[in-house]
Amino acid sequence: MAITLTHYLVLASVLFVIGLIGVMRRKNLLMLFFATEILLNATNIAFAAISHYIGDLSGQMFAFFIIAIAASEVAIGLGLLIVWYKRTGKIDLDQMNSMRG
Amino acid sequence: MIDHILTLLIFFPALAAMLGFVVTKDSIRAYGIAVAGIEFLLSLWLWYAYDPMVSGMQFMEAAPLIPAFGINYLLGVDGISLFIIILSTFFTLIGIASLTEKRRIKDLIITLLFLEMTMVGVFAALDAIVFYVFWEFSLVPMLYIIGAWGGPLRIYASVKFFLYTFTGSLVMLVGMLFMAYFYYQATGQWSFAILEWYRLILPENFQLWLFVAFFLGFAIKVPMFPFHTWLPYAHGQAPTIGSVILAAILLKMGTYAFVRFSLPLFPDASVFFMIPIAVIAIIMIIYTAMVAYAQEDIKQVVAYSSISHMGVIILGTFALNVEGVSGSVFLMLAHGVVSGALFLLVGVIYDRRHTKLMSEFGGLASVMPRYATIFGIMMMASVGLPLTINFVGEFLSLLGFYKQSHMLTLTAGTAIIVGAIYMLSAYKKAFFGNVTNEENKKLKDINKTELVGLIPLTIVAIWLGVYPKPILEPINNSVESVIQLMHDKAQSAEAKVRIPDLSGKNGTNTMQEAY
Amino acid sequence: MELYLYIALFAPLVGSLYSSLFARSPKSQQVGIIASGLLFTSFVSSTILLTYVMGGHTVHTEMMTWIATGDLYIPFGFVVDQVSVVMMMVVTIVSTVVHVYSIGYMDHDKGFNRFFAWLSAFVFSMMVLVMSDNFAGLFIGWEGVGLCSWGLIGFWYHKESATWAANEAFIMNRIADLGMLIGIFLVYWNVGSLQYDVVFSEIGNLQPVIITWIGIFLFIGAMGKSAQFPLHTWLADAMEGPTPVSALIHAATMVTAGVYLVVRANPIYDLIPNVGIFIASLGAFVALFAASMALVNRDMKRIIAYSTLSQLGYMFVAAGLGAYWVALFHLMAHAFFKALLFLGAGNVMHAMHDELDPFKMGGLRKVMKGTFVMMTLASVALAGIYPFAGFFSKDLILEVGFVEHHYVIYTVLLLTAGLTAFYSFRLVALIFHGEERYKLFGIHPHEAYKFMLVAMSPLLVLAIIAGSFKMTYFQLVMNLLPATQYHVHDHTTFWIMTIGTQLFVIAAILFAYKKYSNWSSVPDGSSAMEKSFFYKLLWNQYYIPKMYEEIFAKPYAELSRIAWKQIDLKIVDATVDAIANGIYKTGENTRDIQNGNLSTMLRWMVVGLVVLSILAVAFTVGYNVVGA
Repeated sequence: MAITLTHYLVLASVLFVIGLIGVMRRKNLLMLFFATEILLNATNIAFAAISHYIGDLSGQMFAFFIIAIAASEVAIGLGLLIVWYKRTGKIDLDQMNSMRG
Repeated sequence: MIDHILTLLIFFPALAAMLGFVVTKDSIRAYGIAVAGIEFLLSLWLWYAYDPMVSGMQFMEAAPLIPAFGINYLLGVDGISLFIIILSTFFTLIGIASLTEKRRIKDLIITLLFLEMTMVGVFAALDAIVFYVFWEFSLVPMLYIIGAWGGPLRIYASVKFFLYTFTGSLVMLVGMLFMAYFYYQATGQWSFAILEWYRLILPENFQLWLFVAFFLGFAIKVPMFPFHTWLPYAHGQAPTIGSVILAAILLKMGTYAFVRFSLPLFPDASVFFMIPIAVIAIIMIIYTAMVAYAQEDIKQVVAYSSISHMGVIILGTFALNVEGVSGSVFLMLAHGVVSGALFLLVGVIYDRRHTKLMSEFGGLASVMPRYATIFGIMMMASVGLPLTINFVGEFLSLLGFYKQSHMLTLTAGTAIIVGAIYMLSAYKKAFFGNVTNEENKKLKDINKTELVGLIPLTIVAIWLGVYPKPILEPINNSVESVIQLMHDKAQSAEAKVRIPDLSGKNGTNTMQEAY
Repeated sequence: MELYLYIALFAPLVGSLYSSLFARSPKSQQVGIIASGLLFTSFVSSTILLTYVMGGHTVHTEMMTWIATGDLYIPFGFVVDQVSVVMMMVVTIVSTVVHVYSIGYMDHDKGFNRFFAWLSAFVFSMMVLVMSDNFAGLFIGWEGVGLCSWGLIGFWYHKESATWAANEAFIMNRIADLGMLIGIFLVYWNVGSLQYDVVFSEIGNLQPVIITWIGIFLFIGAMGKSAQFPLHTWLADAMEGPTPVSALIHAATMVTAGVYLVVRANPIYDLIPNVGIFIASLGAFVALFAASMALVNRDMKRIIAYSTLSQLGYMFVAAGLGAYWVALFHLMAHAFFKALLFLGAGNVMHAMHDELDPFKMGGLRKVMKGTFVMMTLASVALAGIYPFAGFFSKDLILEVGFVEHHYVIYTVLLLTAGLTAFYSFRLVALIFHGEERYKLFGIHPHEAYKFMLVAMSPLLVLAIIAGSFKMTYFQLVMNLLPATQYHVHDHTTFWIMTIGTQLFVIAAILFAYKKYSNWSSVPDGSSAMEKSFFYKLLWNQYYIPKMYEEIFAKPYAELSRIAWKQIDLKIVDATVDAIANGIYKTGENTRDIQNGNLSTMLRWMVVGLVVLSILAVAFTVGYNVVGA
């Protein structure tokens, strides 16, 4: 059985849903980052796969962009997380409501 | 300097207001009077330099702002806007000169000067976006004046005033954007210049929609029934100076915009909506006059009477002939003078007694004879007695509309009856009879500071009633070109008939020559 | 001649402005004298103009532009022609007399100077009214006299009744003025001008229906000023003002403005005889109606006011039947004797310390000889006894009715003539004859100042001899008005009519004397007559004022309250607030979305994402389906 585009897309979707559920359910900030990484990587897979199948390189370029951005994002995010942890001793999401409207 | 006189007129008060922050508190009043005085003289010079025989725009100025979207800094005045500008500078001067407010006077004068900038800006703007910017800016100083110096309900009143008028203006902005888009569709270029828009002939169904969009913005500002309820609150809470400027100038923005935008841009829609608007105007005239009659607070009587008179202005505007529109423009000025003076007069008694309830007064004529006399003159002007300023406007407005509909004019004419009813009964309650209230027995008659504002207004009210020609003539010339433009643009057969053709008349410029 | 025109017109204005300079200062005699002097100047100029006009000329001048816009052109234009010069003479004579008289009458009043300011302003307005050469100018004067009448009725502004009456007069006149204004609009849009000469020369080219409407609306204006039914109630209430005001405004000049309008607009009314018949019928009705109310009234000034109303009815009969010159003639004669009557009543009021009930007077002829003679002669003139002025003018109106074959109108007017004689002499008998009932109230009456009586004397002379000017007058006005002679051709009928009328009137006078000259007690409402239905009906003025109060005034006030409290506050404003509250509540309810909790926000983000994806899918599918 050849591996077709559909398989990649199904994989991407499954990963995306996993990430989505993670984003919705997780209260731990660190776990939230993991979940967002999963989301981003799901799209990366989709980009790379589609790019390969239609023979257009810009999809893979996008994937690289995303990886680069995700990396810098994680760097900033983790930095903020550490600062937050140092201040409060917790990284529970529900505690972060000082912007409450 | 004459080339940039309008820019000077607009921004001089604003610059002076900035400088005002460094003026000491003791000399701010003199400073304010000086600035407003110079501004007033400048506006008089504008009148002097204005050529009354030319019906089109004069002192035009242009500078690019966002040329890609056709937004430019365009200014100009014609007979319609010239006198409202002078009225604005005049009232700012009078307002500052006769200011009796004691609290934070420096802030107040600076605010008034900013307000003056926005008022002159609205009437001088010939670009829709510039117009819109000044139109909205004018809300801010007034919001501040009501909110900071107002009565006990000032926050409610000022927020209501701001949000209500602001909402209407947003719809108007959408209308303007669509108008510009339509211009783009037709010509391939963006333009917000009103004079450019004048050349467009819109399909009738577009006209109807755009008319409604503009109408909402203007109607709330006027204010027309049933959008009028912000006004009694605003007047009720505003300090005297706020009410004076609000009634004299800010309300005129709405009616002025009808003449500047609605009529020449949408002639067919104007004819289409003429009768419904006339009906609203009649409701305004009669209904608010009745409400005014029921009031217990003398300031509210004057506030509601303003709405009633604005009804006559609207009626004259939608007469769509030279007599009616000239009359309505003249009535804008007349109502500005008279209602401004009446609010000043109400302020006089409020300063002394700190109440505006008529039941607290009574017999004031014997304690304050000078006050009663000036109030009497202004009341009679408001009632529309011939040889006072209001009569000329009311007479022409009603005369003009009579051409369009007999029955509606007959109904609207009851303005002269119901107006007399509420004004005379209010005057009787406050001024006639014996002095029953102990506190009223030792009231001082009107003083010099107050007379500074009231005497010029009284003179103007009678002078322009006896000899309106210097003002009526330029108005007439500009209105004639607007009407001719409307006639030329009108498409429906009804509109062609309803809007008179003036091209056969000697000395009347056709639209192309005028604009 | 234009100079005299301007002097005649503006001298009263100068007097008014001069007096108003002193309005706040204490009484000073010179104000009254100067104002009167200026009025006299105006009178002299008018006389010069009269001689000039009698030579067959007219003066027409345009001072300056007033309103000019579009096709509308209204100048301040003035014309002295055969009609306006008659009015000018009437106005200046009566007002000069009244001014001089007022110097004495208002002697002890605090508002002496203010009074002259108003009074002269009134004369100026009246001159504008009669001299204008266009309808708009007429309207200036029309409203101006209304304003001055308001100020003078409410002159004693501390009195509730006076200020009420002033407002009533002003507002009622305003109702009629609306009619007038509409009439002016109609004229403008159909003729294109408001100048009399243009309008009258072109009025014939209009459709009859439009001419009819013009005539009706202008007459509505006239009805208000001349207090014709149903707008008559203000005139009786206007008696709250000082008596010289009643003499000048509410007898001699302002109330006759309506008649003047109809006379002036005779080319219009000539074309619409149907409206003319209506005017005449209304006039006859008012003549009888007003006279009937005068029969029972116990207020001296009101009786004279009703009599004025009744005589205005006569004038409208003449004007309505096309006998314009007769109407104007009666206007003139009436002005003289009625002003005299009022001024006499003013003397009596002074003597009686402002007592108005003639039943509380009696026997005053002993102390007030001069006033007695004047009022009696004025009443004789009013009753229309030969050779007094009233005979020539009033009998002429009866003849007009007869000659024009309106026998009902004739009968009504004849009956009214009897009533007029009766109530006039009832008043004279009660005031000057019989027992001195005033002693019961401890009043010591005295005669008025000499100069006041002297001032009144010109009116007395005119009331006696005005009839002899008839032919001169006729020669004068026939240049402008239809010169129809009203003669009953049959000599026998003529003599029967004239002598019959005279006998009837004299009988009414004698009856009044017999009944009232020996009156001894003050009625207290207990007699059988006072309890009868008709007496009550007349006493309460047919319940019309009460009806107006119930039908118009109260519901209007009530409706106003409802409009404010129920509609404006509870519906219009409440709707606005409800919308604002709705928006505010929506915000309040949805603020949980923005609770600052990251995980909640992330969940909302996911919801949004899902919704957007679904939308995207739906649109794509939908587009493909439609596209296919």
